[in-house]
Order: sequence, then C-alpha cells, then structure tokens
Amino acid sequence: MTVTAKPDPLIHPITRLSICGLLAAGADWVEFAALRDAAGISDSVLSKQSRVLEDAGYVEVRKGAVGRRPRTWFRLTAEGRQAVEGHLAWLAQLEEAVSAGARDARQARPLPDERAQPRRVLPPLLGSS
Amino acid sequence: MRDAARDPAALEPLERLRVQRSRLADRMRPPWWYLPGVAIVWALFFAGPFSSRSFSSPAAVSTWAIVIPAGAVCFLLQWGLVRATGIKVGPRPLRVLQDGLFYYRPGRPAGIAMAVVSIAGLGSEASLIRHGLPVVAIVVAALAVAAQVAAQEVLLRAIRQDLRGGGGAA
Repeated sequence: MTVTAKPDPLIHPITRLSICGLLAAGADWVEFAALRDAAGISDSVLSKQSRVLEDAGYVEVRKGAVGRRPRTWFRLTAEGRQAVEGHLAWLAQLEEAVSAGARDARQARPLPDERAQPRRVLPPLLGSS
Repeated sequence: MRDAARDPAALEPLERLRVQRSRLADRMRPPWWYLPGVAIVWALFFAGPFSSRSFSSPAAVSTWAIVIPAGAVCFLLQWGLVRATGIKVGPRPLRVLQDGLFYYRPGRPAGIAMAVVSIAGLGSEASLIRHGLPVVAIVVAALAVAAQVAAQEVLLRAIRQDLRGGGGAA
C-alpha cells in the first residue's frame, strides 16, 4: 500500500487541521463559539490560527453583530476546500497503510494465541494414527 | 517527514477530527421552539385550501393572509436556528461525487417524503372541500402537519449524520 496523496504543510498542524476539517464537514458557515467548542481550543488559539488560514486564502471570515455582541463566522474557500480534501485523502491513505502494515506484521509473526491453536488441534489426530 | 505509514501516532489527527465532527454535529440540535414553529408553518401551508380562492365561505381568508405569515415564520425559524446552533447549513445538492461514485445525502428520503405529503395533502384537502367535507379536510391537514414535523426531525437528524460523517469530505 503506497500513499499517493500529498499532505498540505499549512493544514498539517493539528489545530489548523481541526479548524479546516470542521469547516469541511458540510456546514456553509460556522460561528466562532461553535467552532471553538467543537475543536476544543481557546479563543486566542482560534483567532490566531484562523488569521493564518485567512491570510493563506483557505478560510473566509465574516464579522457581524447581534445586538451589542460581535459574531464571527467562518467558511472554507474553494481553494481551502480543495486543500483540506487533499490532506484528508492523504490521512485516509495513511490510515489504510498503517492498518495494512499492522496486518502484515501479524501475519509474519503470529501472536502466541494464533501459534498455539494448531497444537491444540494436532495431538488428537496424531494420537489416533 | 519520517515514515508516517509505519507510525500509528499518525492516525491520531484523523481520530481526533472524527470526535470533533461528532461534537459539532451534536450542536445541530434544534431549540425547544423550533419544531412547534415548524408545525405552525405547515399548519399555515395546509390552511391554503381553506382560503377564499377555493373555499366559498364567509369565514374564508385571503391566500396572502396565509402565505405572508407562513413565509415570515419560516424565515424567523431559520434565522433563530442558525443563531442558536452557530451552524448555517444552506441548500445542498441531492447527490455528491465521492471516490468517483455518486452517493445520495442521508436526508434525501425525508425530503422526498415532505414533497409527497405536501402535494398529496393539498390535493386531498381541495378535493374534500369540493365534496363538502371540510371536517375531514381538517383531519387530513392535521395528519399532514404531523407527518411534515416528523420528516423535518428526520431531516435534522440527517444533517447531523452528514456533519458527523464529514459531508463528503473524507
């Protein structure tokens, strides 16, 4: 199993991957508090990382207010969506490669239980001949 | 970058993202007033055949007296839902291309059911009113409203499922 998709260095840091992955989940716009709570990060981290993503053209930011309370909304741009999908495809391929690697390792070096199984079956057959 | 394909820790971000998406989907739960509001909108919609256009009774009202409040309540409901959840989900395509294959979004059956109930409900009501059975028409309207509210609930559940699954993005 080879990994053909390429990672995006800008999205690779875990916080930015969380922000972009959440924005790519299917919602058009996500509000600051909803994104912060879902990602489990602080206000300042979200502000800082979203600025980086906005400067890179991956995220669009819309600021408004409801009464006196400011509200900030985020959404992925077309470029951002493409980058996230590519990065997630890379991660998915990686996941598959790791699972395949683990499977191969198990086949090459069977676990003690798997090795013991034929022995439990063989003695009665040998004894009957 | 070291050989990530052999490092199980490389999978952590994907697993973490699944949990975060699940958290985001859980936010997409409507407030207590949303479904009663939806019931009001559909009740106004199914009150259409009782308007003066097809129901020649002194108690009948103009069609606009039904359409305008229904539109206003519908707009307020969507605005309130977006404000309460912090998530705006716009109109979505019926099918999505993923891994070279088209797949239908989870809310499609509920959407089709809503369209069928709307057409069948309005048609049955109009026919019953024409045959002088307004009480039966009211019962049909009430059943149609209940069906639409149930379908709306299924639609919201489908949106949550879609958000949890990544909406087509890996």
